[in-house]
Amino acid sequence: MTSRRHPTSGSTRRTVVGALAAAPVALAFPAIVRAQAAPVKVGYAIARTGPWAGGAQVSQEPNFLLWAEQQNAAGGLNVKGTRRPIELVSSDDRSDIETCVRTYEKLMGSDKVDLVLPPWGSNANFAVAPIANRMGYPFLAPTALSRRLVEMKLPYFFLLLQQPKPMMDALVDLLKANGAKTMAVIYVDDLFGLENYAALKVAVQGSGITIVEDKSYPLGVKDLGPVLRSMKDKAPDAFVGLTYPPDTILASKQAKEIGFNPKFFYASVGTAFQLYRNVMAAGAEGVLGMGSWNVKTSPGAKAYFDAHVKKFQKEPDRWASGACWAGLEIMTAAVAKAGLDRKAIRDYVASTEHATIIGKIRFVGSENVGTPGSVSQWQKGEFEVVWPKPIATAALQTPKPPWG
Amino acid sequence: MRRDLVILFVLAGAALALPFVASDFVVSLALSCLMYAALASSWSTFCGSTRYLSLATAAFFGIGAYASALTLGELPWLAAIALGAAIAAAVAVVMGAAVLHLRGTYFAVLTFGMTELIRHSIAYFEKQVTGTVGRVLTVVPERDTVYLTVLGLAFAAVLAAILIRRSRFGLAMAGIGADEQRAETLGVDTRRVKIAGFAFTAAFAGAVGAAMSVRWTYIDPATVFSPFIGFQTVLIALIGGAATLWGPLLAAVVFSLLAETLRLSMPQVYMMSLGLLLILSVLYLPGGLASIRWRRP
Amino acid sequence: MTFGAWAELIASGLITGGVYALVALGLNLQYGLMRILNIAHGEFLMLGAFLTWWAQTSLGISPLVILPVSFALLMALGLAIHRLTFRRLARTSGDLDVFEARGLMVSFGLMFLVQNLAQWLWGGELRGYDWLAEPVAIGDARFAANKLLLLGLALLISAALIVVLRTTLLGKGVRALMQSPTGAQLVGIDTTRLHPLMFGVGLGLSGVAGCLLSTAYTISPAMGEPYTVTALIVITLGGFGSMAGALVGGLGLGVIEAIGMHFTNPSLKTLLSYGIFIAVLLWRPNGLFARR
Repeated sequence: MTSRRHPTSGSTRRTVVGALAAAPVALAFPAIVRAQAAPVKVGYAIARTGPWAGGAQVSQEPNFLLWAEQQNAAGGLNVKGTRRPIELVSSDDRSDIETCVRTYEKLMGSDKVDLVLPPWGSNANFAVAPIANRMGYPFLAPTALSRRLVEMKLPYFFLLLQQPKPMMDALVDLLKANGAKTMAVIYVDDLFGLENYAALKVAVQGSGITIVEDKSYPLGVKDLGPVLRSMKDKAPDAFVGLTYPPDTILASKQAKEIGFNPKFFYASVGTAFQLYRNVMAAGAEGVLGMGSWNVKTSPGAKAYFDAHVKKFQKEPDRWASGACWAGLEIMTAAVAKAGLDRKAIRDYVASTEHATIIGKIRFVGSENVGTPGSVSQWQKGEFEVVWPKPIATAALQTPKPPWG
Repeated sequence: MRRDLVILFVLAGAALALPFVASDFVVSLALSCLMYAALASSWSTFCGSTRYLSLATAAFFGIGAYASALTLGELPWLAAIALGAAIAAAVAVVMGAAVLHLRGTYFAVLTFGMTELIRHSIAYFEKQVTGTVGRVLTVVPERDTVYLTVLGLAFAAVLAAILIRRSRFGLAMAGIGADEQRAETLGVDTRRVKIAGFAFTAAFAGAVGAAMSVRWTYIDPATVFSPFIGFQTVLIALIGGAATLWGPLLAAVVFSLLAETLRLSMPQVYMMSLGLLLILSVLYLPGGLASIRWRRP
Repeated sequence: MTFGAWAELIASGLITGGVYALVALGLNLQYGLMRILNIAHGEFLMLGAFLTWWAQTSLGISPLVILPVSFALLMALGLAIHRLTFRRLARTSGDLDVFEARGLMVSFGLMFLVQNLAQWLWGGELRGYDWLAEPVAIGDARFAANKLLLLGLALLISAALIVVLRTTLLGKGVRALMQSPTGAQLVGIDTTRLHPLMFGVGLGLSGVAGCLLSTAYTISPAMGEPYTVTALIVITLGGFGSMAGALVGGLGLGVIEAIGMHFTNPSLKTLLSYGIFIAVLLWRPNGLFARR
């Protein structure tokens, strides 16, 4: 290595000194540039404590965090060509609506964040959607489900999850195509249960399937034994549970206990969670539920799944998590195209057909009509989409094997 | 009494000015404070002096919420609030007549049971008869209207507390709290006084419920009859000092601010500290926060 | 309905009722003896459940082994809590009414504290595991093995408690205290030792209930409250302080609910429970079996 320790002329020394001085600046240049690009503030309130926390921390918040991390690793969110880092401004809404409302009023009214992400659950979205609409912030909600939300006709509000009608139509179509003639239904005493039940009743009309027994039950029920036993006596072809995760697991466990094993066993929410497989183990085989994607749906889905598992050591759920990520994809594309002009973002979301990890999403009013209603089934440790055929990742296995 | 009234008017004036000078967020926060101030003050006016611990606040709050949800389309705003208060008070009279002869834990547990019964009855009725679960509020007044209404209710609750304490009614309630049998022998119609006091708290809870429901756009039995509303009211009143005048108000403000600051940094810690604070105050400060400031002979 | 179907229905009601009775035992001991209405009872049950879940899923230890551990740990916790809080309350409260009211508030505070502590430690999600869930056939009917175990243990523990209370000197001391606190002290029964001990036992029992419940149901930090409410209803039906009453009350409630659910629908079940609860409190506040 040769080094010139004593430059012979002042100008050379100045050059070297200048170069030496410029080097760190040159190295820091990208950082300076990045630091100078103002961050994009994205605000949200989410349940980290309280009754909603279970669902929110499985299906929603992890996706927000993963998204911000991935975008920032690539240099930031693409805002019409410029990369700007995402700064998440979030807080716990304690599963309390008043707190939720107050937080969003602050985020949109005083803090004036650039974008907002939705809270978890229909109740919270009911409360916050009108505010977001009033302040002109586009809202893509992955865990809100109610015809009434759609009926509110809020231009800035978009529901990503399939609503009751398409989901129940899909279920009935599957059952009809596979020769089911009788059905027993239980449904939870909640907006979700009631709306799905109403949709189910409409769907079975003219399908050749009769509902032989239907019972509703309150949230937090501890024993569905008597109900399931009387259903077992009627020996229906299909059992449909419009249930929440704790009841889904309860119904499954108790059906196994009493030996109630109809040809089709469907439990709506919770079957898509990793928890279901953890608790039911081999008993999960053949169980149907609300699910719309898995790693086989698209390469993007697999990449998302792997990244989620890597970061959080837990799997995303096979329904709402996918919809949440899809919503983030739509938002990313919208910002890349329209910048941070919220009206332009809203128009883009409303009028474009979006390609996402769960397929094509398109909105009519607030409702996502691109993703069809679907049914998934646990097969050998994976929740496969089995209906409708165009998006199926595996064929339906029928009848359901005996409880493992 | 004059001093109390002056303080009240000054505070009310400050609260009145808030929507015009402060941000949305501060106003929201103030709204929360005022809601619990109204609930806790009216609760302690009856429960603090008679020492009948009622856990039925959520029942009346929910009744008020449903009243406004169902009638806001047809009735003007203030009428809906008044209706909420009236129905809640009526229910309280019926409940009180059946229940107020029992003391202590029986009464507390019964009021809790009744709240749950009302909640499940409404849920069942809605489901079977009207085929819905919750109610969507379509006609929603301005945010400032809600704020001013709740401010008005809080003002009225504290004013009523000031006036009642010095009236025969208030003395009768205090007498019942001190020694009920003795009060009876001294000629107090304890039954009527108790029912009236219970209806008083119910009316305020109902009015507050009617006003707050519009903030949530969609109400269902689980949200508006949530036992947590009742627990938090009782907690605030007790920590503030249920038998004092300013205690509940003070505690309502302290707690709303504490809740907000802790929520933004350590949410679980807020709830845990709430529990811890209650335990500590019951053990070491049974008179509540307000008893630190006031040295009543 | 056939006889077999009736039998199955009643049996399943008894199993649920066994759960209720088990959960109510600890609360009964605390209220019957010390007039401490421990609203946080369900939260300690939840702690027992989480402890068992953690031991089973992380360490692979069977719930049966954890059962006595759960009891011991929660009993120790109970002793500590009593020493730190209720003892002082007993000393500083003027009369029994005041003590009851303050005890209620302290247990309120405990409820907030414990539930949120659990949520902080384990997160709000639902957990569960599979243990001894194989169905056991009895005649025509089938029941899960873990539920049968639950019923068996509930009956066993209740019976043991009743026997201890009736025959041993300790038990007689406890019953004497329940009947007349002053009188008992006059004859030399040591309240300062018995109270914390019984409070601890009460909490230990809730830990046992939680351990057994976790084998059959999913658990979460918020699971405690409904059990507290059920326990309250059961001890009201059976009469405060009566172990036998709590057992019969719990089993009875389970059967009534099962029959009610079968003939109407589960949504009415809660209405039914609360309705019965309020009716009993209003008309027979000393419990359905009181002789007065």
